[in-house]
Amino acid sequence: MFTLSWFASFGFSVLRLGTPLIFAGLAAVISKKAGMMNMALEGMMLCAALAGVIFAGFSGNVWVGLLGAVIVGCIVGWVIAFASLSGMTDLYLTCIAVNLAASGGTVFVMYVLTGEKSTTSAAIRAFTVPSINIPLIENIPLIGPMISGHNILTYLAFLSVFVVWMFLYRTRLGLRLRAVGENPDAAASVGINVKTVGYISFLISGILCGFGGAFMSMGWVSFFMKNMVNGRGYIGLSASNIADGNPVGSAIAAVFFGFCDATATTLKSQGGFPSEFIEMIPYGATIIALVVISSIRISRQRKIEKGTA
Amino acid sequence: MNRTRRVETMVELLRIVVAIAIAYAVALVTLFAVSEEPLYIIQQFILGPVSSVRRIGSIVNLAIPFTFTGLCFCFMYAVNKFNLSGEGIFMFAGCISTYVAINLGEGLPAPLMILVLLVVGALVGVVITMIPAWLDIKFNANIVVVSLMLNSMLVFLSTYVLRYKMRDASISSLGSLPLPDNASIPTIFGAFRIQAGLFFAVIAVALVAVLFFKTVFGYKMRVVGSNPLFAKASGINMAGTIVCAQLIGGALAGIGGTTEILANYDRYKWIASTQHGFDGLMVAVLARRNPLLVPVAALLLAYIRIGADVVNSKGDIPIDFITVIQGIIILMVAADEFMGRFKKKLIYKAAQENLAHEKKEEVVAPATEGKEE
Repeated sequence: MFTLSWFASFGFSVLRLGTPLIFAGLAAVISKKAGMMNMALEGMMLCAALAGVIFAGFSGNVWVGLLGAVIVGCIVGWVIAFASLSGMTDLYLTCIAVNLAASGGTVFVMYVLTGEKSTTSAAIRAFTVPSINIPLIENIPLIGPMISGHNILTYLAFLSVFVVWMFLYRTRLGLRLRAVGENPDAAASVGINVKTVGYISFLISGILCGFGGAFMSMGWVSFFMKNMVNGRGYIGLSASNIADGNPVGSAIAAVFFGFCDATATTLKSQGGFPSEFIEMIPYGATIIALVVISSIRISRQRKIEKGTA
Repeated sequence: MNRTRRVETMVELLRIVVAIAIAYAVALVTLFAVSEEPLYIIQQFILGPVSSVRRIGSIVNLAIPFTFTGLCFCFMYAVNKFNLSGEGIFMFAGCISTYVAINLGEGLPAPLMILVLLVVGALVGVVITMIPAWLDIKFNANIVVVSLMLNSMLVFLSTYVLRYKMRDASISSLGSLPLPDNASIPTIFGAFRIQAGLFFAVIAVALVAVLFFKTVFGYKMRVVGSNPLFAKASGINMAGTIVCAQLIGGALAGIGGTTEILANYDRYKWIASTQHGFDGLMVAVLARRNPLLVPVAALLLAYIRIGADVVNSKGDIPIDFITVIQGIIILMVAADEFMGRFKKKLIYKAAQENLAHEKKEEVVAPATEGKEE
């Protein structure tokens, strides 16, 4: 089974499975750098996924769908920001409420618009964001079929890693955002509007989740399905946690989870092993990775403390 | 109780009522917009849950698991740890107690059997909660992420136990072997058909309330949660208290899962997460983290749920819309700023009156000063 083409297709699916996780991870990075933990990525992506299908289906244009997904992602982000920054709710609680509302609300909206309760595949015309082949690279054996022919959103995901990095470390707003995350009081004392920066961070999170959600419903598959994000928002959150808010690191972690996911899918097709345990792999890997990274960080901290003392 | 605190309690209650009223208004507007026969649906939504003794009974029955998970989250909240494993525990405890019950068979007398199973459920809860709690204390691994991942794993683990260890091959759907008769919790109150798990829930609430407000541990726990620096300075064993509180919470969620399975099911057949954990979180928020208010909040949530259920069966509206309503309620109850200005005004007024009052007393009898403290 371990032929060249098998490796190529395995690598292809790692990148494909990693795409929504990269978007979610980057969205979490932005929130984390602004000093907040955004647990609502799940709900944001779910809403965006549905919005993408609906906007594309009713307008007949896939790009309108993509735009709709991003806008809805932003709206959900704004709701969270409004509740937690202006309304002073507990952020964790806000996010859980949003996830809860999104899981039922998407089904409700889907039902009202299409009369279906579990998927839009039959009711709304399917659109997918096109895939592109990269000239020249597609002809390279092994690597070509692995990295060429992906959905545009997959390439956008990798591009976003760079864009987010640029934004955080090379722009004025990024600097302010990090300052707010490090120490909101100090940031406020030099005249940064902490609340506005918080709002902006959630809007950017919303945009990224919008792309992630759109990939789920208009790239991965071509319809919306009840609860289709299925924990990917949480895994993206863990990716950013593992990398301690570094965009490149969280993208690497996201691809690693994509790898776990692809392994699980491959093992499942082999059979012979209870699929329940295989399904656990990505989640178990998350916990293990988190523990390993955290303990490394703690021991490094201790060493530093010892060294200076 | 001084006047400021009385005002605070009053405003808290008022806030909850207003939040629920707004959420209901949203629900009604939505129903009006969506349904073809809105008046009938609204009537069903509001009056349906109390229209028959059977349905009142089901409200109480549904409130029982909510109470257990609500109590569980009161503990998590008390020590300020967002350990969400209650969600997975509820399901997994139900699964494991069924497994134990099937293997023990008809041997034990019913009360003993149920007691054993409840202990099993509690143990499952303790063991599972231990994982995120320990990883948090020891490695500083984010407790929210770990417990969420754990919940997803527990769903698969429960399904595995169901599919490979106790599946009844004689029924077409995926379900466990039937629970032995001596393991089922009976129903009481005749036509209401309320499950006897009600007693466990009442006992649990009473015990938790005593633990919270009348014991040293409860006090420590609340200090650790509300003012960690002070707790550390006064020599409270922080890590121990934090972990213990979470373990008790986990045990309660486990007992909840066991009770639910033994009382309402004749075999285990959950293949997706029951969501009772997140419902418990909501109950704890609604109850303002006060264990004594948990049953009230649980009944309220159950009433809304049964209302949605009735609408779902009678009309054309899917039950899922209720989660939006729940989300709105959580957000508004949790929002400190919601009616915050009103509260401050009232407190200010009360304080002013208090001050004026004290001044008057000072003039009349300066010698008794200080007694009021």
